[in-house]
Amino acid sequence: MSLKKKITMTVNGSIVNAEIEPRRHLVDFLREDLYLKGPHLGCEQGACGACTVKVDGKIIRGCLFLAVQADGCVVETIEGLTKSGALADLQEAFMRHNAMQCGFCSSGMLLAAAELVEKQPKSTREEVREWISGNYCRCTGYHSIVDAIMAVLEARAKGEKMKPVVALA
Amino acid sequence: MKAAAFDYAKPKALSEALAMLAQAGEDAQLIAGGQTLLATLNLRLSEPSMLIDITNLDELKGISVVGDQLRIGALVTHTEIEDSKLIAQHAPLLKAAAPHIAHRAIRNLGTWGGSLAYGDPAAEWPACSLALNATMLIGGPDGERRISAQDFFIDLYTTSLEPNEILIATEIPIASSNQVFYFHELARRHGDYAIAGLALVANKTGKVLSDCTFTFFSVCATPIMAKKAQALVDGKPLNDELIANAVAAARQEIESIADITNSAETKQHLIGVLLERGLKHLIA
Amino acid sequence: MELNGEQLIAAPIPDVWKGLNDIDVLAKSIPGCEEISRVSPEEIHAKVMFKIGPVRARFSGKLFLSDVIPDQSCSMAFEGSGGAAGFAKGRSRVELKPAEGGTLVSYTTEASIGGKLGQIGGRLISASAKKIADDFFQRFAKELGGEIAPLESDPQAE
Repeated sequence: MSLKKKITMTVNGSIVNAEIEPRRHLVDFLREDLYLKGPHLGCEQGACGACTVKVDGKIIRGCLFLAVQADGCVVETIEGLTKSGALADLQEAFMRHNAMQCGFCSSGMLLAAAELVEKQPKSTREEVREWISGNYCRCTGYHSIVDAIMAVLEARAKGEKMKPVVALA
Repeated sequence: MKAAAFDYAKPKALSEALAMLAQAGEDAQLIAGGQTLLATLNLRLSEPSMLIDITNLDELKGISVVGDQLRIGALVTHTEIEDSKLIAQHAPLLKAAAPHIAHRAIRNLGTWGGSLAYGDPAAEWPACSLALNATMLIGGPDGERRISAQDFFIDLYTTSLEPNEILIATEIPIASSNQVFYFHELARRHGDYAIAGLALVANKTGKVLSDCTFTFFSVCATPIMAKKAQALVDGKPLNDELIANAVAAARQEIESIADITNSAETKQHLIGVLLERGLKHLIA
Repeated sequence: MELNGEQLIAAPIPDVWKGLNDIDVLAKSIPGCEEISRVSPEEIHAKVMFKIGPVRARFSGKLFLSDVIPDQSCSMAFEGSGGAAGFAKGRSRVELKPAEGGTLVSYTTEASIGGKLGQIGGRLISASAKKIADDFFQRFAKELGGEIAPLESDPQAE
């Protein structure tokens, strides 16, 4: 019954062709078929945010998106966004403010933060807290993550750029 | 958990989608944003043999103003509503409500039409569409039909949509120059299902509200208007006494249903809390 | 979860009692009923597809009747398995009384729903159960040829 479908998408800048079952989620396709282990699986319900990836420039839940739905789309994961430098100042701020411990939430957290910084650069601390409430962190208690994001917002507002120290993947 | 296997098709036109739906029958489910459906399939609370992806259908896309009506296509996402200049101008209630829906990643995919078609009692859009006197446009094998929001939401998760129909768009009368609104949702955490919510729309001159609608959600099986409270307030200058009477009327006329976290009494109380905050906010 | 209610059905008591015990009438009255059979005078087996919102859960259930007083009342114990979706069990008591306009059917039910449906759907269990009961009685009344008459005390009736 589950005839495989042929799909083509761009992942982190490269064209990918595949034949997959319709029920396969995008995040499973990325992790298992393309070995991109950056996005993680948590709840598979869309609540925890660990699977967050970017499709056509917008963050989405990789567990609530089928790989077949990504046919013809541009997909970006933490690996690609790190390589392109798009997350450089956020990653630098995360390190400076100790916003990561086990790192499980970090991929999703950074992607969510990146969309906030891009779309709502005048966010207040309260608005940052509300925005990232869709990404669960079991380690940090969130304050350091919010501090890091606020630091990036303030730096960008002043036209400053944090010098990235992050080693490229 | 992973979903059970299913087939997948993506029709290019509404007529094709309707034909597929008619042929597949009860074994198929429509997918648009998929934010409710895929979560359901992941838990195997449903195992359809086929998903019909309707995201290609142009007839269901876009936000536009036609005459004095704001048309919102069923496929418009929550984020598109949040960011739309037309919505900000002609239906600002929706812009205020949008950020309350789950979180950004969900809003980037979830749709206006999906929320209306499910009619979840805790959902924002059914209540807002009722508050704004929307008309639903529905496509079926016999063509298009129109139905007002008042008649569209029938019972728990039950709308006027037949299994072989697809919601195409809604039309909402554009806001008058003196329209005001109040939207508030009580939840333990941002993005949770609402415990109780209020979408209030009215025309305001001085301290007088007219054509007011007080639509509560997450207290009954469908969004519900406090009609007696509306009638009390309509056309009279708002003061503390009138507000107190309206609050009492709303608490009296709506029979709440308990859910897993809150009793009917709590919901009853919160109906009054929301209405009081709303009315006081509007005359502040 | 408790579900208690009353319905006035415009048909005489013997017809209502007969209908409640008639497998064919039940088959048409239970929303989503796919199969139903009477295994013994006290035991009924059924397969029902529950559709609520996006959920489509197929339940296999058993109903055990007891304390049967014909044309008056009976007790029921039921249990059902929804496969991956969860399970349900409970007990119910149904009483028939004569009333102006027909028969007053009153029922009290205690049920528990477990598994995923209980966890995820717990938010709306009461409302869902009430809807299923209401749908059942609408269809049941139609089968008997009568109509549901709105009760005076029913605040939702307009």
